[in-house]
Amino acid sequence: MSTAEAQIRLTAVNKTYGAHAVLEECNLSIQAGEFVVVVGRSGSGKSTLLNLIGGLDRPTAGVVELLGQSLAGLTEDELSRVRCRRLGFVFQFFNLIPTLTVQENVRLPMALNGASKAQGIRRADLLLRELGLDECGSRFPEELSGGEQQRVAIARALSHRPNIVLADEPTGNLDLETAEEVLALLEQTCRRHGATLVMATHSREVLGTADRVFTIRAARIHEEPP
Amino acid sequence: MNGLLARSGLRFYWRRPWQLCLAVSGIALGVAVYVGVDLANDSARRAFQLTSDLVTGSTTHHLMGTGGEIADSVYRTLRMEHGPVRAAPVIEAEVRLGRLPDRVVTLMGVDPLEESGFRGFSGFVPGRGTDLTRLIVEPGAVLAPAPLLEELGLEAGSEFGLLIGGETRTVRAVGTVLETSSADEGPTAPIIADIATAQELLGRTSLSRVDLILDEAEAERVRALGLPNATLVPAEGRNAAFDELARAFRINLTALSLLALLVGVFLIYATMSFAVVQRRGTFGVLRAIGVSRRQLLTGVLGEALVLGTLATTAGILLGQQLAEGLVDLVLRTIGDLYFESSVSAVTPSPTIYWRGFAMGLGMTLLAAATPALDAARSTPYTAMSRAALERSTRLLALRANWLALPAAAVAATLLLVSSRSLVLAFAGLFFVIATGALLVPSATRLLGRLAEPLAERGFGISGSLAARGMAASLSRTGVATAALSVAVATVVGIGLMISSFRISVEEWLTGTLTADIYVNIDGEQFFDDSHRDALSAIPGVRGSSQTRFVPLPTAAGEVGLRALNPGPDGWGLRMTAGGTEAVERLESAEGVLVSEPLAFNRQLQPGDDLILPTASGEQAFPVLGAFRDYSSNGGTVLMPLSVYRSHWADNDINGIGVYLDDETDREIVLEEMRRVFGAGAPVRFRSNEFIRERSMMIFDRTFRITEVLRILAGAVAFLGLASAVMSIELERGRELAVLRALGLRPRQVRALTLAQTGLLGLAAGLFAIPLGIVMAALLIQVINVRSFGWSMDLEIASQPLALGVVLALSAALLAGIYPAVRAVRVGVAGQLREE
Repeated sequence: MSTAEAQIRLTAVNKTYGAHAVLEECNLSIQAGEFVVVVGRSGSGKSTLLNLIGGLDRPTAGVVELLGQSLAGLTEDELSRVRCRRLGFVFQFFNLIPTLTVQENVRLPMALNGASKAQGIRRADLLLRELGLDECGSRFPEELSGGEQQRVAIARALSHRPNIVLADEPTGNLDLETAEEVLALLEQTCRRHGATLVMATHSREVLGTADRVFTIRAARIHEEPP
Repeated sequence: MNGLLARSGLRFYWRRPWQLCLAVSGIALGVAVYVGVDLANDSARRAFQLTSDLVTGSTTHHLMGTGGEIADSVYRTLRMEHGPVRAAPVIEAEVRLGRLPDRVVTLMGVDPLEESGFRGFSGFVPGRGTDLTRLIVEPGAVLAPAPLLEELGLEAGSEFGLLIGGETRTVRAVGTVLETSSADEGPTAPIIADIATAQELLGRTSLSRVDLILDEAEAERVRALGLPNATLVPAEGRNAAFDELARAFRINLTALSLLALLVGVFLIYATMSFAVVQRRGTFGVLRAIGVSRRQLLTGVLGEALVLGTLATTAGILLGQQLAEGLVDLVLRTIGDLYFESSVSAVTPSPTIYWRGFAMGLGMTLLAAATPALDAARSTPYTAMSRAALERSTRLLALRANWLALPAAAVAATLLLVSSRSLVLAFAGLFFVIATGALLVPSATRLLGRLAEPLAERGFGISGSLAARGMAASLSRTGVATAALSVAVATVVGIGLMISSFRISVEEWLTGTLTADIYVNIDGEQFFDDSHRDALSAIPGVRGSSQTRFVPLPTAAGEVGLRALNPGPDGWGLRMTAGGTEAVERLESAEGVLVSEPLAFNRQLQPGDDLILPTASGEQAFPVLGAFRDYSSNGGTVLMPLSVYRSHWADNDINGIGVYLDDETDREIVLEEMRRVFGAGAPVRFRSNEFIRERSMMIFDRTFRITEVLRILAGAVAFLGLASAVMSIELERGRELAVLRALGLRPRQVRALTLAQTGLLGLAAGLFAIPLGIVMAALLIQVINVRSFGWSMDLEIASQPLALGVVLALSAALLAGIYPAVRAVRVGVAGQLREE
């Protein structure tokens, strides 16, 4: 696999909190369109890895590159722009904006990218239909079930056609049946839209469908054999 | 378990030092304003009481004459015709110290041989070694208060100067006069002289009054003597009007301080309810793991008790400092309104501190009790669910709208049935405020919805999110906006009242001061008709008015009698009862007009009779109408000069108003006028503009205390606004972190935070406008009339309204700066992880 085509590349990345090393000497390269799963025990550093990739946190040492661009020298404004255009997030606790309707939540990233309201509504309706939520557009997040809320979060993560979707324990808050359904939807939708999906999870069920699997142990990242 | 609950509450504030500081300062400032004003009021009340006791002593009656003086012969007649009577003549005047010309002291002439049964030496005593014989026989001998001599650096036996009628008269302190009241309390004792010495110093032959100790039978006998130009007034009656006015002034001031406290209470409520609402999720968890409702309620109330105790103690200490400044202002204001003499500050009663403590703590507990009860009553699920909370808040806001109806009905009933009661009127005002506060949460939601398209157009996605957040987070924004609206409305209401009063006084002065130049004479001298004729003969003078003003003792208190021969521009009256017909009837000498305060205090209406003591005994004058008069709230009677002269046989004139032709050179006329009176005559010439300017200066000084209270209420509002808005924004950390994760730029995050706080401030400012106008209308139309008998027009000036909105907006935007900076500085990952 040519590293020149890597969409995400981490080189000798370290992250420490005080004296505690969460990640050490992490090297990672992910190609466009891949579905990558990161597994590890609670507190192993999965979320930290995703935060570093997403520019939500900065490494103590090493370089994080997205689409060939290092995040190290970017200002907060530039990082925001990268997230806004290139990244989509799916969180464990959904993190939908409670004061916006489902449709508004989905078109929020598009609005941030300057899309017109009409464009936003068209795209949001399309995604919601795709995810089986076409009846929920005018409802508020609090009126939906957990599984529905996570599907809205997936729609939101994909609405602005990002290159990369980062999903941090997207099923951690759902029952087994719903979790399977959401995982399948997330994977299929990302593949359909050509987005790279990096998912941190406890769930072993997803491993079979992933293109690559990484494990974090003792602050170091290891790629599992296929 | 309770220990753990307490620890949880403690840590909540420990992690939010800003919120703790703002909550404590909000409560403390509210308490400080109440305690400060209460202390100042109490000091004033006690000082006046002491002054009154000192001057009147055990006197039961006063024999008083027209014009504030009574002929010496009346006292002699009384002594001769009544037989043995306990009577003491008094002559009293305000004089200035030669070395300290700004210092006014009272010179009191008494008969030392008659004084023993009177103030006599109950209010003050001659110092050790004082030779009373010298006081009687030595010319210029006086007894001076020991502290005064000390202040002047003099000893007993020294000479010092008194400024009387523009001249310095030398007196010798042959002894000291000591106060029997505690040394650090009470007003300064007067300078005492023998009555003959005082008459000589003041250039008078008359007395100010004769003090008497009489039983009812003796009083009847004195009345039966029919002493010429003298009225027997009960000592209580003489001060009754003053006491009533001073009481009204104090009630008004107390009410203003209560209004400031109410602002504090609303802010305390917002602070405490926010602190509880914020932890509803935690409370839900606690309830789920077995914490009982009682334990939860006790925990929250315990927390409020600790916070309230801390803040109230700080407020009392702050109030003590505040009182020192306010005492001076209150006494000066009362001095401007009622009492010429300067009164020194006194030590207030310690019960005020306890009252302030109980008030502050009680209000804090009350403010915490409602949300605490709500949290304790909720099921654990409801307590944990934000969605459930918002749903129930929306429902509560709707119910509050319905509750506003009975609140408004109670307010209207109280205001209608309260008649002359100031306390009930204030209760009505508080219900009006409650009505407004109940409507605010729904109005906030509506405003958020209406503002969204505009905010989106103006600020893009940040504006839209801000407006949406305000409407959707009613559990946070509803109570806060209601509290802040009340706070800002108080500032707006008092501001409108002051500006309305100022405009009314300006208009009144313009209407009343019709002459171009006013001529007055100092001391005990008067003009006569020849002066008027001489002034009218000066080229360029188109006419003149003549005024005779005399204080008249009546059984219901003293009134001022103004007899006027109007100039070419008429009477210059604005009638509040009787209309122009009453003025026409006044010109036809059919009766008198009374000033508005007099009509209000004595409940006089056109057609009633007013009994006044004339030279030929008491006589009833028909009241034709009432006119607006801000010159005194003691009460004024107006009659034509000719009527006065026919009843009082007095041709003196106190003042002449000179009307000039339009083209006349004022300086030339003034030169001519000075020539009429000759050089060195104690005559003052004052222009219309000068009097107007001075009057407005006095007005501004009089209202400085109100202005100070407005500023204090503004400070409380500002702090409360900042506290509430900052707390709301700090709580939204996670939401902002999500938005940042989605790509909202730092600039947009800052804009969103400031737009949200700005919208809250704007909402508070906008809702405060109608509420402030209603408050001002009630303060003007109800409270002021019942306090002072003054009516005025409500003038909705733009400045106080704009000030309210600016205050709210600036406080909200300033409060938004820290959360805006923090939202960008704090790591997104950290914020998300916290949840």
